[in-house]
Amino acid sequence: MTTTIVLQQAINGVVLGSLYVLVALGLTLIYGVLVQINFAHADFVTLGAFAAYFLMHLVGAGYIVSIGFAFLVGAALGWLINASIFTPLRRKGNELLPLIATIGVSVMMQNLMLAWFGPIPYAFETQYSSEVIRFSGIFVSWQNVIIIAVSSVTIALLYAFMKFTFLGKALRAVSQDRETAGLMGINPNQLIMLTFVIASALAGMAGAMLAPVLVLTPFAGTSVIVKAFAIVIIGGFGNVEGTILAGLIVGLVESYTTQYLDPGLIDIVVFGLLLLMLAIRPTGLISERREENV
Amino acid sequence: MKTEFRALFVGVAAISLLTIGHAAHAQDKTIKIGALFPMSGPGSYFGAQDKQGVGLALEQLNKSGVNGYKFAVQYEDSSCGPLPATQAAKRLIEQFKPDVIIGEECSDATLAVMPIVDQAKVPLLNAGSSSIKVTEPGNSWTFRIMPNEVMQGINLADNAYKRLNARNAVLLFENTNAGIGNAQVFKDTFTKLGGKVLAEIGFGRDVNDFTSIATRVAGLGKIDVIPTYTLEGQGLKITQALAQAGVTKGGGGDAIQIGTIWLPFGFEQKAGKSALGYIRIVQFDPTETRDAVKDFSTAFKAKYNADPTHLNAHAYDQIMLIADVVKRGGKDAQSIRDGLAATKNYSGVTGSVEFDTNNQNTKMDTVHYMETKPDMSWTSLKWN
Repeated sequence: MTTTIVLQQAINGVVLGSLYVLVALGLTLIYGVLVQINFAHADFVTLGAFAAYFLMHLVGAGYIVSIGFAFLVGAALGWLINASIFTPLRRKGNELLPLIATIGVSVMMQNLMLAWFGPIPYAFETQYSSEVIRFSGIFVSWQNVIIIAVSSVTIALLYAFMKFTFLGKALRAVSQDRETAGLMGINPNQLIMLTFVIASALAGMAGAMLAPVLVLTPFAGTSVIVKAFAIVIIGGFGNVEGTILAGLIVGLVESYTTQYLDPGLIDIVVFGLLLLMLAIRPTGLISERREENV
Repeated sequence: MKTEFRALFVGVAAISLLTIGHAAHAQDKTIKIGALFPMSGPGSYFGAQDKQGVGLALEQLNKSGVNGYKFAVQYEDSSCGPLPATQAAKRLIEQFKPDVIIGEECSDATLAVMPIVDQAKVPLLNAGSSSIKVTEPGNSWTFRIMPNEVMQGINLADNAYKRLNARNAVLLFENTNAGIGNAQVFKDTFTKLGGKVLAEIGFGRDVNDFTSIATRVAGLGKIDVIPTYTLEGQGLKITQALAQAGVTKGGGGDAIQIGTIWLPFGFEQKAGKSALGYIRIVQFDPTETRDAVKDFSTAFKAKYNADPTHLNAHAYDQIMLIADVVKRGGKDAQSIRDGLAATKNYSGVTGSVEFDTNNQNTKMDTVHYMETKPDMSWTSLKWN
């Protein structure tokens, strides 16, 4: 029984961690390239969740299609908001303005969604939510299998994109030194836009994946964003590998804290871990070696 | 003669003007009601449904008024939390200057507001907070028509033990005054009766994924009942996770989820088949045959094209009880407070109201049990 529970909680932790990673990756990408925290990221997650919900319930699309749709909605919104709000503010040369603008965008989006979708929680059920696979005392819903599969594929694709494509290498170059990358013929503004689009698309997709798991209201994204920030810090700001590792660790820590301590202590344990990391390894689990690349 | 006619004419005109003026003044008299409802955050479904109940009551009352008074409501978003609730209460009192306040829904928010209404000497009529602290010790300006956590908890534990033959329970609750208090009352009563509480699992409102908690519950052995105290959103996820883990009836297990007044109507449809067999207390039974209930349900459906929930009903009752006090002579904060305290056997749509010396409604006919059926509709158990 004990082994079964340990294994079950490991599965639960990996599922939760995968969701956290999807949310945190967008944050870390934006920070890596722009050295900017995007406080509106949570609301891109929420909007992605609603996009998937309405595509399924109004158009009758399948869940997998709705995940793709949320990805596209996130990408489109990221492009729109970056082009109309963040880019003009960035041109003014004050780093603080876009940062404050992300707070404004967040509040605006929350209230727009509150006006459009209302405050009553939506039940986001998919055909996979209640289908459960049971073996040797372990249970996994098909929903969770999809979460792990889609997250793994997305993370692998993102990793490959960053590591092996020209654009990915250019993004890493901009994140390491924007000015030098510019001297090498890379257009930082285009790459900043690309970063925003990818990060927002990931947030939208994370929303569609999270929606059946979390409580879908206009404030849904805010409930995971604090953990996502913690994961980004634990993993090392701007570091994709570190974020993946930290997300999975936090998911597992939550599961085992629930099992062996108390779910009421989850935040204490997770943020205790965060403080510990800041004290002993402030650059995160896997730190960027920016200086070497200058 | 001409002078006498002129004097008579002036006299009649003056009296007429005075009468018209008085009548107009009487029609202008307004009872100002401040409403502290959560309209944002996880408890915002309370506010949305409360406003519908208030809206219907105002529409009915303001057609002709009560004792020459009309009723006006000013809403403030108190967000189900102590800080926003205190700020909202102060704003209401300073700017709107209400004769009476209704709300909040969440106990922590109500408890935070109570010292403010006490200091301002404005009566607070509460219909949705269950923490015992609201009325014990409470204060002389706060009244509650909802059965408190002790009334509900003792009744629920008693019914779980005697009617459901439950002997083992696992408690799931949010870490708030109401969540902890509700769970504690159940535990005390259930163990006194001879039952055993296998685990008490509390969690914050930011917990999203309940699979890990359901896994822990599944590992606890035979469970008969799982009293659960959360807001709707987390409640949905817990119910689904417990079914997925095969613990509750909805997932093929034996355990029955039970609860006090937390969840709105429609919960079962959202939770799906996971909610099968869920037994919970609600504040309003639309199957009651009393005229007040039938009339309210008909009027509500006509106005909103939907069946009323218990949140709609208790908000409606709050306004109607205030109107009853006004009918009995209430006209300002002090007289409304005194009128509320003197209420005897008032019959509302949720049940009847009569306050004890702590301003707690003593009537148990506001406690209605419902059970979720296989088709996700529910049946009224008529246990009280």
